Amino acid sequence: MSNNQQIFELWLDGKISTEQCKTQLQHAPEWLARLNSAMAIRRDANTPEFDAIPVFDSSALFASQWQRPKAKRSWWPQVSLALSCAAMLISLSPAQLQLQDGSLSLRWSNSQSELNAAVESALTTYQQQQQQWLAQQLTLQQQNTNSQLVLLKDYLQDELKRDQRSDMLQLVEHLNQQRQADWQYWQDNYQPIQASYRPDNSYYLTPTTSGVDKP
Amino acid sequence: MFKRSDESLIAKALEGDQHAWQQLVSRYQSALYYFGLRLLGSKEDANDLLQDVLMVLCRNLGQYRGESSFKSWLFSIANYRAMDVLRRRKYSEDEQSLAELADDSPALCQQLSSKQQQQQVRLQLRQLPAEQRLILELKFYQQFTFDEIASQLAISSNTAKSRFYTALDKLRLQLEDDHVEQSANF
Repeated sequence: MSNNQQIFELWLDGKISTEQCKTQLQHAPEWLARLNSAMAIRRDANTPEFDAIPVFDSSALFASQWQRPKAKRSWWPQVSLALSCAAMLISLSPAQLQLQDGSLSLRWSNSQSELNAAVESALTTYQQQQQQWLAQQLTLQQQNTNSQLVLLKDYLQDELKRDQRSDMLQLVEHLNQQRQADWQYWQDNYQPIQASYRPDNSYYLTPTTSGVDKP
Repeated sequence: MFKRSDESLIAKALEGDQHAWQQLVSRYQSALYYFGLRLLGSKEDANDLLQDVLMVLCRNLGQYRGESSFKSWLFSIANYRAMDVLRRRKYSEDEQSLAELADDSPALCQQLSSKQQQQQVRLQLRQLPAEQRLILELKFYQQFTFDEIASQLAISSNTAKSRFYTALDKLRLQLEDDHVEQSANF
């Protein structure tokens, strides 16, 4: 952007006066000519217009576009709202409307005491349920323990019997071995001696050299 | 007196407030009418343009987002419609409409010594191509900035300036030729 253009645009924006602009552009005939043309147009633009403006009623146009017909006033929504409010009020208030045996009764109750009673009842029920559950759990636990104890007793008894049987078998075997060993020892050591042993006063006759049988 | 902003009037109008709509219209009606009168050259066309722009404005009022000034937004509609009219009928100089303009305010013509010169300026403005005439109209008569003009015409600011200076140069040449012709007639 040239300096002259800047000066001219400052004048256009009203930041410098016409005289200042002319002075600064006096060596730029092209820009001076533009300034003169612009001044002529601006003069015309500043002249007030006197032509009558035709009347154009745009209200109908606006109404058809942006104005909505007012809704017909109906009382039903208000009645509905009022009845809803009344129902809410009755349900929240201590008043109770009861239809019983063909008679309609309205009574007032203390909602706080009813609430306390309801809470108390709920707590009692809860406590009972908890106690029942605990008792049930205890019973189940005891049954489990008993059954496990029985199983343990059977196992121990079986094991004991098995051990005793095993011990007895070992004992019998040991005894048999011992007897066998004793018999063998007797045979080896004492039987020959016994066979050859004849006491002098033996009653029983034994063959002798003399041929006389001893009594 | 407290003057309500355009945005406030638009918001009210969108709620169905007819008074706000009337205020909005009356605020820009004259500017739009004279804009059409200068650009299109006849009162009928200016009136048609005014009605057309107001109808478009009424239909599209809800689409104004406040990204530019309302006047700038409104004139972007007016520019488009006016250029559309000019494109549809190739503007030919109508002496009758010029005479009509000149005869409208004879008393004022006598009062103002420079009236004749202004008539010459208006006459020569009408000789300019429509795009150049529109730039001068928006700059001098509607006092928009180059950025606003560029935004309205969907062109760059440099293009707007270029058209503006070309229009000024052409107008100067036409005024000089006209002056020479008048001197020769005398």
